[in-house]
Amino acid sequence: MAHLSENDDIFDSIIMADDRFHVEGYREGFEEGVRQGSIEGRNHGRLHGAKLGAEVSFYNGFALTWKCLLQNSTDVKARKRLKAVESLIGVIQNFPYEDPQYENLQEDMERVRAKFRQVCSLLNVPTDFKEYVSGTSGMSF
Amino acid sequence: MSWLRSVASSEEVFDEDVDDISLQNKEWKYNMEKRTQDGFREGIEAGKEASLQVAFNRGYREGASGIIRIAQLKGIMSAIRCWCQVHVPGTPALSSVTDLLQRVERHEDELVETLRRAQQRPPPSLTEMVDDMEELSVGQKSQDIESRCTCSGKDGANEDCSGIVRSKGEDSEMHSYGSSSKIETLKELQKVCLDLVTELELPDELKLHIRQLTGC
Repeated sequence: MAHLSENDDIFDSIIMADDRFHVEGYREGFEEGVRQGSIEGRNHGRLHGAKLGAEVSFYNGFALTWKCLLQNSTDVKARKRLKAVESLIGVIQNFPYEDPQYENLQEDMERVRAKFRQVCSLLNVPTDFKEYVSGTSGMSF
Repeated sequence: MSWLRSVASSEEVFDEDVDDISLQNKEWKYNMEKRTQDGFREGIEAGKEASLQVAFNRGYREGASGIIRIAQLKGIMSAIRCWCQVHVPGTPALSSVTDLLQRVERHEDELVETLRRAQQRPPPSLTEMVDDMEELSVGQKSQDIESRCTCSGKDGANEDCSGIVRSKGEDSEMHSYGSSSKIETLKELQKVCLDLVTELELPDELKLHIRQLTGC
């Protein structure tokens, strides 16, 4: 190895010191960033998960109840309603809405909402439900 | 004595040198501190980016699992109310159903509001957290701030926990999300609902769905 002159040594140690301070700061900052990011990310996630989970679970409870209420009925209208309700239940059961990494989260959500609206109109559900639906349909990820 | 003269004058020279050196030291210190700060800023950004998504996914599951039971009850109550508006309009039973639905809605809204408040608040600074931790027992300083809850909570088998992990740095009101006191309220609401279903003589299968909310 070539012998470094004294001048080179000095410049090298200056540059290395420069890097060293930068790296030290970076390391500490990274730790702090991970800490902050973990808290922020989790809080954001909790709110989103709760909103989505609440909406789908609401539809689920609603549909399951109507299934119970309709299934002993024999008239044509009731059977048609029951079919729509069972369809909604089916869509929800196949929807892993608790999995944030599910790739079709948005599409399936729209599908569930559309099915719910269809069920509501078949059931002649009073308009105050529409508030709920329109309130949550503006939700974005 | 020329050396004496040179010593005398060399003090002045020394002073200049000392000033010069101390100025250079200050400059060096300033520059190195700046380098550290630059690195710190870059590090924070990188650290946040590296942790945000994983934390979001974890929180998402927690948020969803903590609310599905009360939300499902809300759906059930809403459907019952629709039915009552058609089959038993203007009756005390309908009023009771409406009352219960409103209680359920309030319960759910409170849960969501807790989460919204937590989301809007910036994360506590490191010094704040260190202070918080110092108020707790001394031995905990070196432990992780958050601990993982090991029970499942989701299937309703363990009612005291919803899988929500408690962080010392988070507000105490965060503890109420999915905590046992709220589970108690869910049980109360569930009971009133079952009583109404009995009173209205609705199908037994419906009671099954209602009971399942708390794993009964």
